[in-house]
Amino acid sequence: MSDQIHEQELPGIGRRYSVQADGAEVSVVIHHSGRRDVYLSDPTGHMPPSVATLSDDQARRLGAVLAGAYFQPTLTRHIEAVVGGLLIDWVTVADDSPGAGRTIADLQVRRQTRMTIVAILRGEQVVVVPEPTEVLEAGDRVVVVGRPEDLDGFVRHVAG
Amino acid sequence: MIFPGPSGLLAATGGETGKELVALGAALLVAGLLARAGRRIGLPTIPLFMAAGILTGPYTPGPVLVRDPVDLGLLTTLGLILLLFHLGLEFSLDDLLAGGRKLLLAGAAYLVINLSAGAAIGASMGWGGREALVIAGIVGISSSAIVTKLVIELRRLANPETGLLLGIVVVEDVFLAIYLAVLQPVLGEAEGIGEAVASVAKGVVFLLVLVAVARWGRGPVGRLLGSGDDELLTVCFVGLAVLIAGVAANVGVSDAIGAFLAGQVVAGTAVAHRVERLVLPLRDLFAAMFFFAFGLSVDPGALTSVAGPVLAAVTLTAIGCIVAGVIAARIQGLGPYAAANIGLTVIARGEFSLILASLAVAAGLDGRLGPFTAGYVLVLAIAGPLAASRSHLFARRLPARLFPSPAISGKDVP
Repeated sequence: MSDQIHEQELPGIGRRYSVQADGAEVSVVIHHSGRRDVYLSDPTGHMPPSVATLSDDQARRLGAVLAGAYFQPTLTRHIEAVVGGLLIDWVTVADDSPGAGRTIADLQVRRQTRMTIVAILRGEQVVVVPEPTEVLEAGDRVVVVGRPEDLDGFVRHVAG
Repeated sequence: MIFPGPSGLLAATGGETGKELVALGAALLVAGLLARAGRRIGLPTIPLFMAAGILTGPYTPGPVLVRDPVDLGLLTTLGLILLLFHLGLEFSLDDLLAGGRKLLLAGAAYLVINLSAGAAIGASMGWGGREALVIAGIVGISSSAIVTKLVIELRRLANPETGLLLGIVVVEDVFLAIYLAVLQPVLGEAEGIGEAVASVAKGVVFLLVLVAVARWGRGPVGRLLGSGDDELLTVCFVGLAVLIAGVAANVGVSDAIGAFLAGQVVAGTAVAHRVERLVLPLRDLFAAMFFFAFGLSVDPGALTSVAGPVLAAVTLTAIGCIVAGVIAARIQGLGPYAAANIGLTVIARGEFSLILASLAVAAGLDGRLGPFTAGYVLVLAIAGPLAASRSHLFARRLPARLFPSPAISGKDVP
């Protein structure tokens, strides 16, 4: 088995990337329009290939999953930005996390983790700059600001 | 002196404008709905837009929406310009060169076979030498639009032969550009050798200037068009395309080749990708009007009178494309399925045949070119996709001895 990725230009359509895996060929076609097609050839060669069409956004998410960068237990990262030395990230509060059901003051978030919660997304509701008395709930997505190296501590202390 | 002012202008044209708008709107709607019905059974849009034109035109019973295709004149010319502008925008010589020698060989084989078939039909019809030259192009060149759409919709993008198949279409596009440049002086009404040479020279100089701008003028053109705003960019690039096409028509090169080169000029700039996206809806709309107007000019009665030549051209095209498909598959070391897929996909004819016919008829060549091309495109634009989707049935009938190489599918290629 070769882990070489074979690349080919499809004039007027886009580019094709294929890799041999498990006796079958997996091909990804990136259209100029942003559309992605994923082809999986039939290993016996008797059947037409299976095809799935993904939008640009779906393809990026799936790509992150394949790269192992998307899913992390109890922690879902949607957006992470590091500007200079400052990190801005979204963290989801898990059901069984230490933070669920407790207030920000209770958790001593700033003192214990050196990070600051700047906003909470709770379903459709958005709490901007929450008071220390705000109670975190499971499923909350909290937007935190701080230094990148403190994020893991925050996740352990609050979210998971 | 009293100026009419805007309100005066409106009043003067009010009644007429209302009628024209009703006709144009109804025409587009009929074309769109017909094409939508066709989409359900996997038919491309081009023949159905044209069929809508024929059905609502002056030569068939029932309501006549637009009496004279000339009424749509400027709109249909815009369609032609945008079709070729988009082709020039997408077209890249690098794609062609990246394909290597095998691609050039397969493309050349395709062109030689199908252009000779076209020229033979053109000559045998006895309509004249210039007509024969145009028919060679009408019969020889596939529809990039239909072929590209077919490969995507039949989900053949991962097939081993697809790169080669699309490459052949690129070779055809290159040929089309050169062919359009050569055709114009032939179509033009030059009197005497001296004038003909002068008109060719003028055209060649203009083309060289455009090619040079496309090659070295990216910076200035990019800055001229460059705007972060989609609205402004759209207005500017359409203006540039139409201006270049117009100047080209004025110096005796066709507006079609001018529009193609305008596309090439824009393709080199930083805004190329955004223009590619922005031009699509415009192209689709005005191209639909172009196909519709072409249909309007077709008298179904005249269609039956050219049925013989159409049938001959369809038969020769089918044979030519299948032979070219077998040659291409052999060059690449592929089997009968690849050969059938290539041959039955490149058989589709559409926009380029119609563009060539409309240029020829506009230049005063034999009027039968119109119905001939309409019939030819109607048959192949409908039968081609239907055949392509059933290519596996045909592949089984191809004799195995045509494919000496052991490779049957791409899996066997190391």
